Amino acid sequence: MINHWSSENQERAKELLEQYPEKRSAVMPLLYVAALEHGYVSEDAMREVAGLTGLTSAQVQSVASFYTMYKREPVGKYLVSVCTSISCYLRGADAVLEAIEDETGILDGETTPDGKISVEHVECSGACGGAPAVSVNWELVEGLAPDKARDLIKWLRDAEPSVIFGDEMQMLFGGQQSFDWGPKEIEGAIAALPAFDPYGTAGGEK
Amino acid sequence: MAEERATVTINLDGVDIQVESGQALIDAAELAGTYIPRFCYHPRLKPVGLCRACLVEVEGPRGTALVPSCTTPVGEGMIVHTQSETVKKAQEGVLEFLLINHPLDCPVCDKGGECPLQDQAYAFGAGETRFVEEKRHYEKPIEISDLILLDRERCILCGRCTRFSDEVSGDPLIEFKDRGNYVQVMTFPDEPFASYFSGNTVQICPVGALTAKPYRFKARPWDIDGVESVSLVDAVHSKISVQTSHNEIVRIYGIDNDATNHGWLSDKDRFIFNYGQSEDRLTTPLIKEDGEFKEATWAEAITLVSERLGSFDADKVAGIGGARSTNEDAYVFSKFLRSVVGTPHLDAQIGDGLNAAFAAAVTPRAEINDLETVKTILLWGPDLKEELPVLYLRVRRAATELGANLVIFHPRRTGLDGVATHTFQYKPGTGPDVLRKLVAGDGEYAEARRTLGEGPVLALVGRTGLTEDPDLAEAVAAFALDLPDARIMPLMRRGNVFGALDMGVTPALLPGRVAIDDEAGRTALEEHWGPLPDGAGLDTTGILEGLASGQLSALVLNGADPIRDYPTPSTAAAALDVAEFVVSFEMFMSDSAAYADVIFPVVGLGEVEGTATNLEGRVQKVNRIVLPAGMSRPVWSILNDLAATMGTEFDAASVEAVGAEITSVAPAYGGVAWDRLSWGDDKEGLVLPGPDGTQPLEYTPIDRSVPVASGHRVLHTARVLYDDGVMMRHSPGISGLASRGAAYLHPRDASVLAVTEGDEIDITVDGEVRLPVVIDPSLVEGTVYVPFNLAATAGLGAVGTLRIDAVRGGDD
Amino acid sequence: MTQKILLSRMEAHPSDSQTLARYVDTGGYATLRKALKSMTPEEVTAEVKASNIRGRGGASFPTGVKWGFLPPDIRPRYLVVNGDESEPGTFKDRMLLERDPHQLLEGIILSAYALDVHESFVYIRGEYPKPARRLQRAIDEAYEAGYLGGNILGSGFDLDVVVHLGAGAYICGEETALLSSLEGRRGEPRLKPPFPAVEGLYSKPTIVNNVETISNVPWIVENGGAKYAAIGPETSSGTRVMSLSGHLKKPGDYEVVAGITWRELIYEVGGGILDDRELKAWVPGGASAPWFVPAEHLDTPVTIDDIAKQGSMIGSGAVIVMDDSTNVVGAAHRLVRFFSHESCGQCTPCREGTTWLERILLRILDGYGRPEDIGLLLDVSDNISPGLTWPPAMTTICPLGPSSTAPVVSMMKYFRDEVEAMISGAPISIGGVSRG
Ligand SMILES: Cc1cc2nc3c(=O)[nH]c(=O)nc-3n(C[C@H](O)[C@H](O)[C@H](O)COP(=O)(O)O)c2cc1C
Ligand code: SF4
Ligand code: FES
Repeated sequence: MINHWSSENQERAKELLEQYPEKRSAVMPLLYVAALEHGYVSEDAMREVAGLTGLTSAQVQSVASFYTMYKREPVGKYLVSVCTSISCYLRGADAVLEAIEDETGILDGETTPDGKISVEHVECSGACGGAPAVSVNWELVEGLAPDKARDLIKWLRDAEPSVIFGDEMQMLFGGQQSFDWGPKEIEGAIAALPAFDPYGTAGGEK
Repeated sequence: MAEERATVTINLDGVDIQVESGQALIDAAELAGTYIPRFCYHPRLKPVGLCRACLVEVEGPRGTALVPSCTTPVGEGMIVHTQSETVKKAQEGVLEFLLINHPLDCPVCDKGGECPLQDQAYAFGAGETRFVEEKRHYEKPIEISDLILLDRERCILCGRCTRFSDEVSGDPLIEFKDRGNYVQVMTFPDEPFASYFSGNTVQICPVGALTAKPYRFKARPWDIDGVESVSLVDAVHSKISVQTSHNEIVRIYGIDNDATNHGWLSDKDRFIFNYGQSEDRLTTPLIKEDGEFKEATWAEAITLVSERLGSFDADKVAGIGGARSTNEDAYVFSKFLRSVVGTPHLDAQIGDGLNAAFAAAVTPRAEINDLETVKTILLWGPDLKEELPVLYLRVRRAATELGANLVIFHPRRTGLDGVATHTFQYKPGTGPDVLRKLVAGDGEYAEARRTLGEGPVLALVGRTGLTEDPDLAEAVAAFALDLPDARIMPLMRRGNVFGALDMGVTPALLPGRVAIDDEAGRTALEEHWGPLPDGAGLDTTGILEGLASGQLSALVLNGADPIRDYPTPSTAAAALDVAEFVVSFEMFMSDSAAYADVIFPVVGLGEVEGTATNLEGRVQKVNRIVLPAGMSRPVWSILNDLAATMGTEFDAASVEAVGAEITSVAPAYGGVAWDRLSWGDDKEGLVLPGPDGTQPLEYTPIDRSVPVASGHRVLHTARVLYDDGVMMRHSPGISGLASRGAAYLHPRDASVLAVTEGDEIDITVDGEVRLPVVIDPSLVEGTVYVPFNLAATAGLGAVGTLRIDAVRGGDD
Repeated sequence: MTQKILLSRMEAHPSDSQTLARYVDTGGYATLRKALKSMTPEEVTAEVKASNIRGRGGASFPTGVKWGFLPPDIRPRYLVVNGDESEPGTFKDRMLLERDPHQLLEGIILSAYALDVHESFVYIRGEYPKPARRLQRAIDEAYEAGYLGGNILGSGFDLDVVVHLGAGAYICGEETALLSSLEGRRGEPRLKPPFPAVEGLYSKPTIVNNVETISNVPWIVENGGAKYAAIGPETSSGTRVMSLSGHLKKPGDYEVVAGITWRELIYEVGGGILDDRELKAWVPGGASAPWFVPAEHLDTPVTIDDIAKQGSMIGSGAVIVMDDSTNVVGAAHRLVRFFSHESCGQCTPCREGTTWLERILLRILDGYGRPEDIGLLLDVSDNISPGLTWPPAMTTICPLGPSSTAPVVSMMKYFRDEVEAMISGAPISIGGVSRG
């Protein structure tokens, strides 16, 4: 069933299944791998994960639909998530969201017609010290003012980076940080999924 | 029976009461007369405490706390308040929360009138809603299977249905989806809630979110009547409530019974009732004239049959059937044939069962409830999910909840493999060899053999399919009896087959499990029945062969359809064809009834009263609630009239009197009393004691090959739940669920035959059928599996020479 | 008051504090080496007990006591590190994971050794890929160097560590929900008892501890529990990383010793209120905690017990500061919206109640408030958490639902007049942004 997966991902699936004392534990990582294969957590993706873990598709759907990061509809190449929880709200997150909606021409929860950008508001991103915070494909940029948020969108649209690096965005558009980010990060996101090498979702220098 | 538990004293609303230690507070309170509201709690599901309707206050070291009474076990000295202001406010708060998003469609809801949410809203509700926002909206009822509709707006998210499917039936096809305020119950797209047990979720849904199509809008709870009875769909005899409206059965509910079904039913038990009102029901006696059936009066039919049966030598007449009857009907059938007609040839099995003496009298015989306490289960028999689904639930529970070991032998995968400790697939015919190796603990069987050494052991033995040698089951049982604290449960599927054997509808036994060669028993029976025929009678195989050879002349069919059920349908058809006279007691025209000269229409579910005996030997009451269809009558009363016309008046002039006669005539049935079964101590049924004495079985390795072999391929054929049986066929609610039939091949056999999944092949055994191929890696190479008695597999039979021909398209 | 335990390495070596080389260079893994060679597991446990450290995940439960709940004779046991950090206002574990992952890892290995655990999982929220990558790299380095895997440093002790990413669900920070999630199920909290220490992951005894809690273990074992216990007041021993956010000049993560006053924390550590406006209120310990106000609390000490005595909690150590421009209804709405969004949906009062509260607050913000909404908000809150006390009385399985009432009750307690004015449409002098 997963034989259309890339051979690395098939290998990864095997490893993930072995990584836990019980196969079922691999459902969440496998959903990420499947989402990378399908572009999102499609019905086929859930069916494949069910096949791999010995669950029913309904059980996999039950798990997948619990978590907001498993997108069960296609999302844009860049998923722009604007934190609007309390600390970001206090520091003007709503204006950032509005600026992004205005710049992209779409509303919270939508994807641009060219499939490039999706915009959503999210609950606390863990960047409260650098509020307001935004993430692109789950890579953060902190201290983002509305005008910089517009620049960020333009950059995504025009430069179309193939790997998203938080450091790069922070340098170009960011402001106040939650803490000193330290050295440059070498891996970034290659899709609208958290960039994590064991799941095959990270790119960059490694 | 549950063991005695220690008691503790708790203080409930100021009163000290004694309760069973470890019990859930909600149950303890209920037993003491205090009902605490609940939605998610169900006594047969693990408590999860999520609806929060059952909050009560319990005093603890750090003050009083609200706790869900469903998840709180009672403990010595516990002080509980169920009526305090805090409790009332919390309970009313939960109710209000449940109602804010609940539609106000009680008047059109199937559950209206029997809905706990509605009841509580009336009892406690504030009356006026404080919720001015928009309610949650979902698409109104969606079909989640051929039987079940789901209305998510009505759902209160108690999780009973999802937990039942996951925990109890093991087919989690219906699950919570999404989160928080958006949680809903859902199936997966294009994967319907196709479970053999789906109807249970409708029954336990506390609101009208899940409804069953066969019941929908049929009746309102307040004009429903009901009676307790047992389901005769299979030999488990699940306890049911037969519910009617205006003399029509509209619904079957499971009744919670510790002994058998725990309240659960298979969908076949639950939804088969529609056959009662089928247009095709036979409602008048029919007499064949010039090859055509003509309606007749009862008097005409009875006169004709009595004359014809009386015209043959007694031992040229035979009877087949009785497994669909009550014990009373079977008893009178046996009595009529043996004492009025005077023939020893009668059999309730149709060549597909077990040795009667073994099935009826093996000892020590297990009870279903032994599954609650055994350590190890050996299952060498049918796929329980297909043939005895409620027993499947009980075994599944033992293997999951209760941690029993489960060792399964079967020709292919079964519904229980997923929860088994060891599973073995073998080629039909090699069973004796496999058993020999198991006994010796050889090689791959060593570990299973060790597991089987952990007692107490319960051995469920029966035929894995129709090509299985019936003696194998006995050999397995004999082996199992040497295991620690072992008990045996013989498995057969058909409705009341165990009752019919107990009533002597078999050449080997007289009523009450008396062996035919037991002189004392025989003499005792003759005092009631008069002289009995000499000599050993013929079983179904002998009868059919006797008819075909002319040794026998006439046949009485009692709810039997040998052309469909006998392993060589051609033999059955030939026998019926040449028989001089055939009379059939039937509800529907069947392949076999078509050969009859006279057909007597008989009563069915809800129309018949009596008792029935299940596979543990448990006798329970079968009850009547609707009038018989048309002029149909119970078998016993038709036979009474026949006997009288033939010159023998039976004493028992009512079914109750027949029941009383059984208790005085059939030794094992001595303790059965109807009033005790109906409302006395034996409400859960009475398990009849087995014969005294030592183990009747010894392990003797048998060495015979299966009936079917050809080259290196053999046939495995077994029944599935939804088949093309006569009642299934006439139950519109579920008839559409019958499988279309296929031939299952091991991948390597398929490749040798150069076919792939979906290709068609012709298979010949007794007859020939054309079936699509399904690839089934769970088979042992060389085994071909075909489900028995589907519309598409009828006539194939189980005995004969197996031939397989790939169907080649015309183009290549 | 300037004691540094957790942040010293990253502050001294900003360019490479996350690497194994720097970690070892600054004394890292020496404690592990010593413990494996010369300490029994019981001795390691004894130091943790002696430190009196209380969990940094929110509940402030004494770690040594929790470890003591493990049934002695059941194996396997698991150690699960809680890096789900999703409580609004909290961002300390993110820093500990990104900037000093080996410190955590050494804490894990020491704890696993003490607890006779051979498999450990670190559950990191899905929105934290960078912290997860940094930890994974540290794990890879540690395997390579023999600090993880079989026969660690020749001691005969084996340990594997697996990083598991969440996927967007705050409730998975609650320890039993975390375990459900780690088992591949919906992140739904389970009934307690049984507690995870007795029946946790795969129904086996499991210790769940926060990232910061475990990050303290190397220092405790190295310096001795007694020395750790001596830092700060007796029942709030050690340092803790507090996340400061909101209307502050210098928001960020700061390692402090308990006993400092709120005034010091907000005006000195946090640099004072943004644009020198007036302080209106603050949340002392993450979104779940009841609010504090300057008139009553500014000069009280920041300790677990003092905060509890005043009806709130230190929780995850997240301080969210609101200045005088804040629209309290807007702030309460954001907090309640969070709980409604993050409710797992099992318990009726939480699923229905949090959403109802959110919608009433939103209606008020939209200008459709009714006078009866004040009573309704309080009564709905009371039906979620009877009595509206702190710690909250529970009608639910976990504290998420009851926590959602804290902002509503705090708003009504201190700023009822503002809410009433908003409902009646009277002009109010606040400057915050409110948006539906
Ligand atoms: C709703 C809820 C969310 C929680 N979120 C977290 C979290 O993100 N991180 C965390 O360490 N603990 C969280 N906790 C606390 C954990 O349940 C648990 O107490 C803690 O992980 C134990 O670690 P500690 O003893 O080291 O603090 C949360 C608790 C609740 C009720
Ligand atoms: S209180 Fe809320 S989050 Fe916690 S278990 Fe109940 S429904 Fe889930
Ligand atoms: S019945 Fe106890 S919580 Fe639902």
